[in-house]
Amino acid sequence: MHAPIQQQDADKLPGEVPGSALAQGSRVAKRIAHIDDDPDIRDTVRRILEANGYAVDSYQTMNDFMVSLWNSADPPDLAILDVMVETMDIGLEAYVEIRKRFPGLHLIFMTSLGEEIRPYFTGLSDEWILIVEKPVEPVSFLSIIRSRLGNNES
Amino acid sequence: MAIAEFSWNLSDKNRFTLPGVGANGAKLSDEVLINNARWFIIFRWGVIGVLLLFQVFALVASDELTKIGITHQQGWPLAVTLVLFIANVIYIQALDFQRQTKYNSPAINIWAQIIVDLLCLSVVVHFIGSIASPAPFFYVLHIALACIFFSTLESLVVAALVCVMYATVLLAEHPLLLMASGSTATDPGTSFLSPLKINIFLWMFTLDVLFIIVWYVVSRLAIVVRIHEHHLVEAYEEIRRAQVEKDRYAVLMTHQLKAPLDAIRSKINLIKGEYCGEVPPEIREVISKIDYRASGMAGLILDVLKLERLKAAARDNNAREQINIETVIRKCIDKLRPIANSRHIDVKVSVRDFTVEGIPNQLEILFENVISNAIAYSYDNTTVEIVAAVEGAGSYGIVTVTDHGIGIGEKDLPHIFDEYFYTPRAAVHNRTSSGIGLSIVKTVAENNKLQIRISSEQNVGTAFSVIFPTIISGSIPETEMHQPEVLSSHLVNPQSSPLDSGKGGNELASTH
Repeated sequence: MHAPIQQQDADKLPGEVPGSALAQGSRVAKRIAHIDDDPDIRDTVRRILEANGYAVDSYQTMNDFMVSLWNSADPPDLAILDVMVETMDIGLEAYVEIRKRFPGLHLIFMTSLGEEIRPYFTGLSDEWILIVEKPVEPVSFLSIIRSRLGNNES
Repeated sequence: MAIAEFSWNLSDKNRFTLPGVGANGAKLSDEVLINNARWFIIFRWGVIGVLLLFQVFALVASDELTKIGITHQQGWPLAVTLVLFIANVIYIQALDFQRQTKYNSPAINIWAQIIVDLLCLSVVVHFIGSIASPAPFFYVLHIALACIFFSTLESLVVAALVCVMYATVLLAEHPLLLMASGSTATDPGTSFLSPLKINIFLWMFTLDVLFIIVWYVVSRLAIVVRIHEHHLVEAYEEIRRAQVEKDRYAVLMTHQLKAPLDAIRSKINLIKGEYCGEVPPEIREVISKIDYRASGMAGLILDVLKLERLKAAARDNNAREQINIETVIRKCIDKLRPIANSRHIDVKVSVRDFTVEGIPNQLEILFENVISNAIAYSYDNTTVEIVAAVEGAGSYGIVTVTDHGIGIGEKDLPHIFDEYFYTPRAAVHNRTSSGIGLSIVKTVAENNKLQIRISSEQNVGTAFSVIFPTIISGSIPETEMHQPEVLSSHLVNPQSSPLDSGKGGNELASTH
């Protein structure tokens, strides 16, 4: 029930994608979880990330993701959270919960409101929370993902 | 089967309820009591000063005082001064240097102050004259203060205490009074009822009545004031809650409006990034135009939220911080340089750094708007010059952003700060204009008490100056920003700019 939403229509055509096979090769592809209630955003993120060699698990609700995360023996390397899925605060609450149980998991927020949502983050966490404004722009989006995951390796 | 009940009963919500606070039992918070205790202490230093002056006067004109019936030889002024002085030191000690306990609370402190003061006043009244002198009227002051700071019942106790003390003073002065009045009762109409005794009884009765009337009137007033104060606090809290709610609503609205647009633009970006196969140039051009218009709309939606928030910030007493102007300008330019580069507009910067006091982040919003406007309304392949300077012998700071572009028409200039105002000329040049950018600038200028001066000439360009009337510090040397493209030969002085002396409209828009 809480399995990631499987890709249905995004046909991956290897010949078409630019800059692919980033994380491919001898290494296992980095796994990224993406939570967003908008199917078009989910599809876009999946296409971009998969074309660049990442494995993507998409979830429609925060609850789906959290249940899957709690039951998983192998958590993803990075999770992209939506602030306003279902209700306004659920993204923020989930952030606190996940931070507590998986301190090593990279978290990025992606929201339509961009920096304007930041006042709602005050007092939530001591660390700087990365907020990416929608729409998804492939070049800058990938550079953010790479720098986040790159930090992990060093 | 799922069942849910909904009810929207607002009547309870709107009622003012003060849990545990009745009008009569309303007590002031410890913070207020402590402030008042401090005020009493300061006031008492004044009284001590007056008493000392009195003693000096008594030394100089001893005979005069005796003549008007004031005794001072017994050394009572010195004793009272000493008692008040020591008491004051103890109050300060208890208030500021001792831990608050059950026996050392601000309320007990004030009680002690009132009782000691009443005792001292009784001594003063006794020696200055309990009747036929204005001294007893000072009791009224204590009753009034007790009414303001204590509950009605407690202030009544103080009023009763005053009556008892005054009676004690009178009886102490005329020990035969009771006996005499006793004998009057048994033997009415005799000569025992001397005019002096009648006089004393009259004073006691009249003043006691006065004390009770003062207690009644002032405590009534105090109750009314406290009720109003509570309503005010409640109303203020309601407003604060409403503002939070309004912001939530604005955020929700903005999100709902922008989310579909972001989905569309994300898909457009997939096409532009060739994630859906190669894109012919014609389609790429059309797609870019769609994205350009959509980005304008997304900007407008976010701007409405920003403007709403800035207006709300004006109502708050925001914490002001010291802001370094160079840092702000650098941040804005970093953000806007890609847009300038895409149109081959060179941004030249010359900054003499200074520090101002303002609401955090707001100056960034202001300059981002001003500079992005300068870029948007420039012709391609021109320059935008940003100059920060300290003028008026270091008294005020000025940042001028000059562009070479379409400029502002003379008749449009007075209206540019109107909300949603944009000219057809501007719309042709910059299709994504929301008409909100300068409203945001205006609101920030209002919030931070800045002045704005604009000089513009149509089809030549605009010089947009933000004036900081008070600066905290300005660095002495004129520093160039550490950017390779800065050329010192391109320093732009807003005063000597051809735009200023040109025939274009010159407007001083003071926004406060």
